[in-house]
Amino acid sequence: MLPLRAEGYKLRRGKQALFWFALVGVVFLGVPDPWMPRAILKYRQRLLGELKYQAPPVSRGVTLGTVEEFCPNEHPEWREAQVIEGVEIERSPVCEPDNPYLVAAVVKGTNNVSHDTLMRAGLAPDAVVLGRDLDGDGDPDEVEIHLEVVELNGASPDTAEPVPGFAIGPGIRPAFWVFAPKGFGMATRSLEDLRANPLYRVPSPTIRVEQGDEVTIVLENTHYLPHSIHFHGVDHPYHPPFHPPLDLKGSLPGGDGVPETSEMVPMPGQKHIYRLRPRHAGTMLYHCHVQPQAHLLMGLQGLFVVEEQRPNNWVQTLNVGAGHVRHRSVAVRERYDREYDLHYMDLDKELHEFVQRANDPRLIAKAIDHTYDVTERTADYFLVNGRMFPYSLRDSLVVVKPNEKVKLRVANGGMQKLALHPHGHKVTITAYDGVDVNPVAWITRDVVDVDTAQRVDLVLDTTNDGLHSYGEGVWLLHDHHENAVTTDGVFPGGGITAIVYESYLDENGVPKVSGIDWKPFFSPEYYRKKIPSLATYGDDTRIFREPAEATPRGSRVFIWGLAAGLGMGAVVALFLGRRRR
Amino acid sequence: MRRVLLGMFLGAIVCGCLLLQRAKAQTSGEADVHMHHHAHEEHGMTMDASGMVMNENRDRLPAGCTAISQDVKIVVHAGRKYATRYPGAVFAFDQNSWDVPPCSRVTVTLVNEDHVRHQWMIHGLPRYLYPGGMFHIEVSGPGEKSGTFIVPAEKKTYLVHCDVPHHMEKGMKAQLTVLGGDLNLPGIPGLTAPARPDRYALRWDTRSIALGGVGALLGFALAWATLRR
Repeated sequence: MLPLRAEGYKLRRGKQALFWFALVGVVFLGVPDPWMPRAILKYRQRLLGELKYQAPPVSRGVTLGTVEEFCPNEHPEWREAQVIEGVEIERSPVCEPDNPYLVAAVVKGTNNVSHDTLMRAGLAPDAVVLGRDLDGDGDPDEVEIHLEVVELNGASPDTAEPVPGFAIGPGIRPAFWVFAPKGFGMATRSLEDLRANPLYRVPSPTIRVEQGDEVTIVLENTHYLPHSIHFHGVDHPYHPPFHPPLDLKGSLPGGDGVPETSEMVPMPGQKHIYRLRPRHAGTMLYHCHVQPQAHLLMGLQGLFVVEEQRPNNWVQTLNVGAGHVRHRSVAVRERYDREYDLHYMDLDKELHEFVQRANDPRLIAKAIDHTYDVTERTADYFLVNGRMFPYSLRDSLVVVKPNEKVKLRVANGGMQKLALHPHGHKVTITAYDGVDVNPVAWITRDVVDVDTAQRVDLVLDTTNDGLHSYGEGVWLLHDHHENAVTTDGVFPGGGITAIVYESYLDENGVPKVSGIDWKPFFSPEYYRKKIPSLATYGDDTRIFREPAEATPRGSRVFIWGLAAGLGMGAVVALFLGRRRR
Repeated sequence: MRRVLLGMFLGAIVCGCLLLQRAKAQTSGEADVHMHHHAHEEHGMTMDASGMVMNENRDRLPAGCTAISQDVKIVVHAGRKYATRYPGAVFAFDQNSWDVPPCSRVTVTLVNEDHVRHQWMIHGLPRYLYPGGMFHIEVSGPGEKSGTFIVPAEKKTYLVHCDVPHHMEKGMKAQLTVLGGDLNLPGIPGLTAPARPDRYALRWDTRSIALGGVGALLGFALAWATLRR
């Protein structure tokens, strides 16, 4: 028995030697390059043939996916200058101009236009009710505006698609809450087409009234959470002075929109009546003051413009989507050739996703109140007039001609500061927060900073004098914070728009650019980071594409496998061997 | 069986939506114009500051009907207070299911008890009589409005809702059936489960723990008894 054992012992020792030999070999071959002493590494590389040229992987192909047209061209007939219901409407040569019937209805009052115009505008008959001319100067001074609260891109218990759908960029639909003019009919375009009724969009509409008007704003809370309106910078009473025969039914105290101080805010299904008589003209704001850390950022904010008192001054009471003012006030027409409202916002997509995760309002309220923490906020999306590049170029271009004076009313509704920079121009600041600056103190500059909730009035002078303008072209207009020209980090995106001279605009409102191809920017894939950013630069773009995945070297894979096998084999042998004994 | 049907129905809806949307993308401009045209061409449209009735039809018979079989009157109350019965709902109708005889003439009175707009909107009616397949009553604020339409002869379920943004999602969903209908729509408060239910936190009470424990013991015993050699 003993010799046999000794033989077995020898045999085992032989096997063990083989094991250790294999282990050393594997260590020599398998240790990663950086850990290997340089002197030995050279020999190993030569042995494995790693010093010879091996072609890196080739460039991967680029697939753009579904590419949208720059201009869907739904209503080319809306671009022309026209007179509707006796209201003169300025030409708006952009791809998606504002609905001229809506402009006519809000200038003349939804109570004063034909059924046909109202239907085309999509407004309820009491959306904008214009009453008596109290001072006899040829324009109505009683203004009653009915606003509703609309959720866009919200959760649905029926479909995974957010409803009613409003894309702020290709394939990007965060949830929003906005104030909207009182409408009628469906929330979506139809039962099958879940895009929002055109009346419902971001941002909340600009409200425009004349200085001294008796303004009544009826907030009809169609939403599932309580909301209010705070008139930021607009002359308004702390409590509204109610006069008969105003209908008080269903209204509650408070005129400042702040539930913690004056106001019992309207709950779902209730309304609240605000009355104000603004004595001071300027560019102001209005916004919801219920849990502003969420409601304001969700989109419940808009510009409130008080126009100077003039005779025969019929102002465009609502500017849906902000943007071009197609029927300007008398005072603006006296001094300027065109007028644009520019409403900037920034969004933390996390907040907007919370609203899409549940349909039950209790779950949504809990998520935005307690799960979401605004102090940990980072902005991902940057909007101008509710949209991001390239969609912003469809409806919010600043279209100009040489030798014009253009009025820009800029509001920053975001949490991040705005550093607005026009290419090719220097603009002049004429008012801060709705208060005119003495012309002697006017400042002309090319970066205008606007902090949260602030407004500036700007003059864009297109005289080619080397200071105010450097000539015609497609000149970008953007926030110079570099995160704000991206969409969740992907350039170009964010609130980029452009000052475009008419000679650089084609008949469908597409800027005539001579740079790179814009096609990728109209693909949702681009903003999902699936398309290399430089894919359309130059004639040979292969060098900018992503390299395909490399196949690992055969020798290395074999050695890794061998190492793993040896390790596992050793563990199993030791474990089982001990148990047998 | 009902679940399978429901799944098939939802699948069909999703497919239909996708197809229609694709078609719509090419003709959306045209469709928009059509919508406006219909509103004026049809005489069944009345609108004032208190609301509107769209595509009213008192006498034109759908194909397959030779006469009006019966006059049905429905009074629907709409408002936030009717939602208190359903946790998580905010707006609701006081009733959300109606069955009417084939070829009957239905007169709906919508009583709005809120200070915001509400609608009683029905879809899926024949498009040659009802543009967009819709009949629709809208009441602008507190008050009521009535309208009449005639249902076709076939056994079918029609979607009824308030399409003020998110009112259907938050509880204002109902169905009108002819001959009992061909299916039940999902997500009707008090009647059917939603297609995409919300997830709520679970509370583990003694009963649930006990039931789970009993199940685990039973499973263990079963495995032991069958696999033991």
